[in-house]
Amino acid sequence: MKQTPSQTAGPFLHIGMMPDPARGVRPLSPVMPADPVTLYGTLFDGEDAPMGDALIEMWQIGGIWARTATDDQGRWRLSAAKPGAVPFVSLWIIARGINTGLHTRLYFPDADWASDAAMARVPAARRSTLVASDTGDGAYRLDIRVGGAGETVFFDV
Amino acid sequence: MNPPDWTRHPPALTPGYFSSITRSPREGLIPLDPALADCTGPVFGAGDIGPMDSDLIRNAAQPGAMALGPRIIVHGRVLDEAGRGVSGALLELWQANAGGRYRHARDGYLAPLDPNFSGCGRVLTDADGGYRVETVMPGAYPFPNGPNAWRPAHIHFSVFGLAFAQRLVTQMYFEGDPMIRHCPIVATLPSAAAVEALTARYDPDHDRPMDARAFRFDIVLRGRRATPMAL
Repeated sequence: MKQTPSQTAGPFLHIGMMPDPARGVRPLSPVMPADPVTLYGTLFDGEDAPMGDALIEMWQIGGIWARTATDDQGRWRLSAAKPGAVPFVSLWIIARGINTGLHTRLYFPDADWASDAAMARVPAARRSTLVASDTGDGAYRLDIRVGGAGETVFFDV
Repeated sequence: MNPPDWTRHPPALTPGYFSSITRSPREGLIPLDPALADCTGPVFGAGDIGPMDSDLIRNAAQPGAMALGPRIIVHGRVLDEAGRGVSGALLELWQANAGGRYRHARDGYLAPLDPNFSGCGRVLTDADGGYRVETVMPGAYPFPNGPNAWRPAHIHFSVFGLAFAQRLVTQMYFEGDPMIRHCPIVATLPSAAAVEALTARYDPDHDRPMDARAFRFDIVLRGRRATPMAL
């Protein structure tokens, strides 16, 4: 059988994926790590405009999962497990205008990302688009650019 | 995990759908080793689902009230590429009301909100991969994409299979809708067969007579290996 095709999530994905519990369906609970760190950043389109209607999901070793909608400034924030043997978290981005969800990764700057097998496939000049900055207090920042100068690396997962 | 089938999924840049122009990567996707894609995801269960989640006619209605609009049943199976049912898949659904209006702060369409409808539903697949929801037929509505663009009646689906690589967001259309062939978002699909795959069939054998019509929509996720790596 052939795979069901993707379609854009559109601008109103919050109704189904970040539901208002006062309206009957409660939001899915994230699967949280024991000792979380904060990941955050801003999501930009190909013309450097913040994407205020997107949703980002994070998948990490051990079934850790969380999602967040970007705010009207394109900002996002998630909790993840501290970097361990696996130096990255997987991120999946959907929004109006994104026909098929985009897969990328956030690598922790203090982990051994340089010897990661997937990173080895990324042209050296683009690797920095995947490596977060340590902004202190257990927080890591990564801005994600869907297009334009400094376009983030996306994977064919 | 089998790779994504790019003969089925729309490409990132589809200029006829204006929003894709600034929201499409232009560098090619970097292939991952397939073993790296077998990351298992969260396992959702009955505890994540409320008793009314799959009944959109009533789940946001006042006591004793129901949503307005043609009553429908949407059902089908979630399968993998080998045709095996995917048990325990979680489906999230959202849609406009019967007038084509979403309950969303950013939807300013003229059609009124229905006080008894939120347009949000959720369901888990059973042991055979089957699912069933009850709702009202969503209305068509215009959207900003040139001088006159309309969405056909559709229901948004978000699907969690058993692995990250099976994650899917899509839209279901309705057999016989003349708006399908005019829609710039439908036109992002790479083939007529892909459009067919997103078009639910009227299924009178599953109607509830004198109550609701049934439509059938099967969903095929990427095939899994026998022993996914527990990443």
